[in-house]
Amino acid sequence: MTGPLVQFDGVDKSFGDTQVLYDVDVDVDEGEVVVVIGPSGSGKSTLLRCANRLEEIQGGDIRLDGRSVIETDINAIRQQIGMVFQSFNLFPHKTALENVALAPEKVKGAPEAEAKRAAADLLDRVGLADQAESHPGALSGGQQQRVAIARALAMEPRVMLFDEVTSALDPELVGEVLDVIEGLAADGMTMVLVTHEMGFAREVGDRIVLMADGRVVERTETRSFFDEPSTERGQQFLSRLL
Amino acid sequence: MATQTESKSSGGGVLMRDRLVKRVGEVAAGAFVLAIGGLLVWILSTQVDYDLLSSPLIARRFAEAFFLVIQIVVISSLLSVSLGVLVGLGRISTSNVTGRIAKGYVEFFRGTPLLFQLFVIYFGVPRLWATGEFPFSDWAIPAAIIGLTLNHGAYVGEAIRGGIDAVPNGQMEAARSLGMSRVMALREVVLPQAWRNALAAIGNDQIILVKDTSLLTVIAVPEIMSVFRNINSNQLDPWTPLVWVCVLYLAITMSMSQLVNGLERRSDWGSDSRMFGRLSGLGSGGDDDGGEEA
Repeated sequence: MTGPLVQFDGVDKSFGDTQVLYDVDVDVDEGEVVVVIGPSGSGKSTLLRCANRLEEIQGGDIRLDGRSVIETDINAIRQQIGMVFQSFNLFPHKTALENVALAPEKVKGAPEAEAKRAAADLLDRVGLADQAESHPGALSGGQQQRVAIARALAMEPRVMLFDEVTSALDPELVGEVLDVIEGLAADGMTMVLVTHEMGFAREVGDRIVLMADGRVVERTETRSFFDEPSTERGQQFLSRLL
Repeated sequence: MATQTESKSSGGGVLMRDRLVKRVGEVAAGAFVLAIGGLLVWILSTQVDYDLLSSPLIARRFAEAFFLVIQIVVISSLLSVSLGVLVGLGRISTSNVTGRIAKGYVEFFRGTPLLFQLFVIYFGVPRLWATGEFPFSDWAIPAAIIGLTLNHGAYVGEAIRGGIDAVPNGQMEAARSLGMSRVMALREVVLPQAWRNALAAIGNDQIILVKDTSLLTVIAVPEIMSVFRNINSNQLDPWTPLVWVCVLYLAITMSMSQLVNGLERRSDWGSDSRMFGRLSGLGSGGDDDGGEEA
């Protein structure tokens, strides 16, 4: 496959009469980490949610590996797109291990023992092997978010979407979650991250997409963005942060 | 510094008032218990015929009614909770037709008296057949079970719908984003949580169902109240059979609330146990006040 793995192609999105995305083009290559930044309300999270059709788009197309996600079976496409939410959304009635093993078992029909073993490996990978039998209510926010990452990874997605995954965390818990994401980046996972953590964006992102008012205003290599943003909007955004 | 002392002293004032209110409440509740207790002792010592109370004839008749009521309760309970789950699912259905039918069902069975519904089923339905063709020779008990099931199915349905509504939207989104279908996400993720949310309300309703069996006396079901009416009119002694009635209903309803408590404990997952502890602490505090109101 020579084209980009994920391709947002002229995406328009409205909630009723309010248009929130205007003609958004973003390409994500295989193994690449794209970080979407921008002020609140600029449409970053909505863009992510459109990718796995938690929101339907009104114009343009989104393609995964060249196939339109709009025209493909919704449950099939979602298996290939892992999503991690700001508020974790772990299943409170299941243990950490069951949270991770549930979808492989029910959706992919994996045998229970196999799903559980794979889930245990994933919990180990996010540093929570010892919490496998804990319910989410007994875990810290950082631990819950790491279980949520393991849960998304369990479906062996082609791309992972991270929607402000550290915004709901106490400051001292942010690091452990970012470490896990950094590990994924090092393993070559294709990722799209919406984040307010600029230091992290700079460290882990291959490319930066700056959004404002529902449009992409700058799209550039991470290094050059932070050193000298090419647009006025980018300069403004950075100057307010620094 | 000044504000600190101020807030401290006013805090002490509130505390004093709280203690006074509490003490007044305790006295009032104590007086209430004494009054009721005295009345009860007086009734039990002057009004109750203990020979009649313990006579095997009465005991046997109440025992028969008691076991009949238990059978009706168990069957109607299972059926009404099953029906309620279906109604709750219908209420949240994405299909407009299903949603409206479920809503209409709830409005009707919650909006008309159970007694009316029992009359419709017991007296009305057999008349829809040509004379003598009605397939049930003894229609009273089937009619009772159908009536209780339809009536309480509506309440359980609303409890389930409320329980589903209380599950955060993010749960459905997380399940769907893993590739689960809507039905699978409901079954695996949303409904188990909704069930726990609804459990207290369902338990409450099922206890009401037990007491609603007393209405069955008017459609000729030989249940507990029918036995009372019979003995009362033969012996002209209300208090003796009333003691039986009270004990038998409490026996069923109290076992039922034990059962519900057990179910609630079983579905208490994770750290919420701490919160539950706090809530039950509040509950016992509330009981003190309950005495005053009663």
